[in-house]
Amino acid sequence: MTRELEDDLHRLLTRAADRAPRAPSGFPARIVTRSRRRRARGRGVLAAAAVVLVVGGIGVTVRDGAGPDTARHPAPSPVPTTSPVPTTTASARPALVERVWPEAVWKIPVKLPGGRKGRPQIFLGDRTLLLETWESHEKADALYAYDLETGEARRITAIRTPKGVFASGYAVGAGRIVWQTIEGGHTRFWSAPVEGGDPVAVATDREVRGRGDELTVVGGRIAFSLLEGGVFTLPLGGGSVEAVPGADRHHILRWPWVGTPGEYTPDGETSFEELLNAETGETSRAVVRPGERDVRCGVTTCTGTSPEGRPFSRLRDGSGERDLPDSTYGLAADRFMTVRLPPPSGGQVLLDLATGRAADLGFRTDAEGRSIHVQPGIGDGRLVSFELDGQYVVIDLARIR
Amino acid sequence: MEDDSRFAEFVAERADALLRYGYVLSGNAHDAADLTQEALIRLHRAWARVRRKDDPESYTRMIMARLHISAWRRRRRERLVRDLPETSHLDTRPSDGEQGLWQALAELPRRQRTVLVLRYYEQLTDSEIASVLRISHGTVRSHASLGLSRLRSTIAHRTFTQRSV
Repeated sequence: MTRELEDDLHRLLTRAADRAPRAPSGFPARIVTRSRRRRARGRGVLAAAAVVLVVGGIGVTVRDGAGPDTARHPAPSPVPTTSPVPTTTASARPALVERVWPEAVWKIPVKLPGGRKGRPQIFLGDRTLLLETWESHEKADALYAYDLETGEARRITAIRTPKGVFASGYAVGAGRIVWQTIEGGHTRFWSAPVEGGDPVAVATDREVRGRGDELTVVGGRIAFSLLEGGVFTLPLGGGSVEAVPGADRHHILRWPWVGTPGEYTPDGETSFEELLNAETGETSRAVVRPGERDVRCGVTTCTGTSPEGRPFSRLRDGSGERDLPDSTYGLAADRFMTVRLPPPSGGQVLLDLATGRAADLGFRTDAEGRSIHVQPGIGDGRLVSFELDGQYVVIDLARIR
Repeated sequence: MEDDSRFAEFVAERADALLRYGYVLSGNAHDAADLTQEALIRLHRAWARVRRKDDPESYTRMIMARLHISAWRRRRRERLVRDLPETSHLDTRPSDGEQGLWQALAELPRRQRTVLVLRYYEQLTDSEIASVLRISHGTVRSHASLGLSRLRSTIAHRTFTQRSV
């Protein structure tokens, strides 16, 4: 009798565990954020992380960046269904990224003349990078243009923000660099000429209530979306803020595509399940099947985990499904992801879903078990950069054919 | 902070298992999420030390069990994870008999339930349970025996009531 009840209990508890909730995507990053916020509160310091990147031991820089010419952006992978995805990346280490895609990789000094770190932000052109220097952690105080061919750095402008306010979301277009600051739940926009000159505030006819999440320059206008949802445009020179019709819950994915929910889905919903073309009104809804988890979609491609726990990628319409290796991160330009390599050496490879090629990013877990982590952005994500051995490795995904 | 990528890997790999444990400890998805989140935040803050000295997973499970029997849970406000859509439950819906036992378990005092979960789900010995919960061996045994006899009588009573209706 006793034994029977004990057996029943064991069986019941084991079965009941299957009804447990699952961790949403981005769960580790959110735990880290909350832990830091609590630590900051404990010290009586206002926690103000403008952009929470995934995790970074030594340094992580993965930002979506809009180039000056949208035509130069990496095209969505045409039909990523024909080439096999190397599922063996976990055991076989591919060649280094600078050997696999030499035309797309640069290594630049971490420090600018004068000794300060110049941190890569976005591409300003085919051979020019926008660098940021920091006054304190993530608080930019100046912008530089860095010529990848000649190695020359040119100061563009100084940035001054109040304590706890951070410049973020750099974009470039119409000869100007644009960024945002978020203060007290409101977003303001700023711009400075690429050729150099003081920043000016972009005047708006009304206060922008909400926190900016994505920003791009389209023709002579700034297009932005809010973390709370909603896509808007305003003239680069200042003026009236106009809502994009039908996009009140949307976020910019890759202009003109905006979608809902955004990349951040607190309850494990599908990222960018619904898309709207802000210029033509065309819509698209991604196919998601019951029981699938962590589905994240780009303009043409989705990744996720099947009900059986098998990671996959496929087109938004549900066709062309292929298996992915375990532990993939990000989805830039609908084709680039990183894959974590197994311990003890660790490291990551960059995987191109369109061609099936993969390349070692070159870093390893150090003797103390620390490692950097690179995650290509879900939108444009043209720039991937990280610090390695006293240099920044800079990868232009738009140059990978 | 340098160890964040290791920490993130640990969470990515083990969060679902910890949520399962939180679910059987607490009996509901909200508390499972709260327990898991809180324990992982505490793990993050102690990461450098825990990674050197202990197994992070047993540390986290220990924190979850202790949190569950403490007053902490009643003060919680933050919510991070919600229950999954109903579809994921379909193939594991409990039978009537299991439903009765699950209900009876939900009515147990929290300490008794925790001891039973550690014994029959985690399959710990009574002395391991004593050390996780920081209580004496004798207290573990008495919680277990009180819990089991209460389950037995609740189920017997329910069965009798159902038959006589």
